[in-house]
Amino acid sequence: MKRPVAATLAVLGYIIMIGPILFVVATAFSAGRTLRFPPEGFSLRWFEAAVTYDPFMESLVASLWLALGATVLALLLGVPATIAIHRGRIPGRGLLEGLFLSPLIVPELVVGLALYQQLMIGLGLDNLSTLLLGHTALLLPYAVRVTGASLALADPAVEEAARGLGAGPVRAFFTVTLPLLRPGIFSAALLGFVTSFNNVPLSLLLQDREFRTLPVTMLDYVQQSYNPRIAAMATLILAATVVVAVIAERTVGFAKIFGGINR
Amino acid sequence: MSRKTALLVLPGLAFLAAGFLVPAVAMLVAPPGEEPTAVLARLGEMLTDPYEWRIIGRTVTLGLIVTALCVGLGFPIAYLLARSRGTWGGVLLALAIFPLLLSNVVRTFGWLVLLGANGAIGRLLTSTGLTDDPPQMLYTPLAIVLGLTQLFLPLAIISCYSAVAQVDPGLDDAARGLGASRTRAFWSVVVPLSGPGIVVAATLVFAGSVTAYTTPYLLGGSSQRMLATQLFSYASVSVDWAAASATALIMTILVFAVSAISSPAGRRGATS
Repeated sequence: MKRPVAATLAVLGYIIMIGPILFVVATAFSAGRTLRFPPEGFSLRWFEAAVTYDPFMESLVASLWLALGATVLALLLGVPATIAIHRGRIPGRGLLEGLFLSPLIVPELVVGLALYQQLMIGLGLDNLSTLLLGHTALLLPYAVRVTGASLALADPAVEEAARGLGAGPVRAFFTVTLPLLRPGIFSAALLGFVTSFNNVPLSLLLQDREFRTLPVTMLDYVQQSYNPRIAAMATLILAATVVVAVIAERTVGFAKIFGGINR
Repeated sequence: MSRKTALLVLPGLAFLAAGFLVPAVAMLVAPPGEEPTAVLARLGEMLTDPYEWRIIGRTVTLGLIVTALCVGLGFPIAYLLARSRGTWGGVLLALAIFPLLLSNVVRTFGWLVLLGANGAIGRLLTSTGLTDDPPQMLYTPLAIVLGLTQLFLPLAIISCYSAVAQVDPGLDDAARGLGASRTRAFWSVVVPLSGPGIVVAATLVFAGSVTAYTTPYLLGGSSQRMLATQLFSYASVSVDWAAASATALIMTILVFAVSAISSPAGRRGATS
């Protein structure tokens, strides 16, 4: 490498980014009782302990459903809104788009506080509905921005051509425009699902004994007991995330998915 | 058709109003069981309280340090990635983006293993005989800075990467052909042309750092409170709605102020 300073900084950066994750994985395979490095012996017992631990599994299922629900809702609301913003004749398009992106700008913990205070305490809404509402609002910016980027690339003339050939507006949309949007919708769905699944700040105040998400359960767990079960659960999440990353890379391309949301 | 198309925005807008905009505004004027002026009154009290200022000061200071570290490490990485070819470049780029998909909780846990009382670094220090009594590393500002840097470095790398990738490598060659050293070409050609990307990176990292919850909670504990952990404590431990809302207001203003200051600089580059 001919750029010694830049290369040194890069190595340091990668150590900070990746190093701690490797330590978590290493301790997950420990046979010992405490979360420490180097691990004492090798065993898979803590993986068994993680997948048989009810609070982890219950909140894992809760997180998966919540992420799925919020992603579907955000797309159902966000994709039509994006089409309206880009193709409809609306005054104040910039303002509208800004409104849809605003949940991204306000700190998530602040959004969580607002929903907790006003909807759960104020209106007495249950925590599952509030979580779903909050997560959907959080994912709307992704749906609007990412599908918007792919809609901007789709030439409206193609849709007009379909209309000229006799297709109705609905038919033209479903047979021409929607297929063109597919990569954008896929990116938005993936990004949204992962964002919702990993979210802590928005879910934190909205948790409940009955329904809480996995990251919140894990944060709680590590406060109470300090053992490799948490490292094993983290390693399982890491493995699942690698699978998601590979799927993302094979289908749309990793960098492209994140390019869409980068402001 | 266009007029009807415009109506498609309404369901999303209604949802956004109910699930975000109205509660956010109501939080500031009507916390449960409080007078409409309670939040502003509490905000006034906070701004004369040295304890609150310590938390604000810590949040801003650590945010600035993390921003400097992320840009300082992220820009060289982005530069090397943008200029490298072949498999390694692709693997390193994927390795830099991948953490963005990974839970903050998972990423932050590693520091507990490394910095904790029985952690790897402490044991390394005692076993090499450097010290008998390893210094307290967890629950310090250093731990928060390391954790937040780990969290936001990928974001800094991507923002800088898209900027550096747009700078024609021929320009550094030209500068070098005209007699500039490699370092000079880097500083007077590549960095200025990537300016807007650097501004975007810094803004995103700073905004993320001053609002992050998981990292200050796990690595800072209650001795190193930041605005986010303090807000949570007001809302769930002391159930002081006015204080929680006022803290939320401070956090939001901080983020908006930084975006407002930086967006002209970021935009100028984007259009040039």
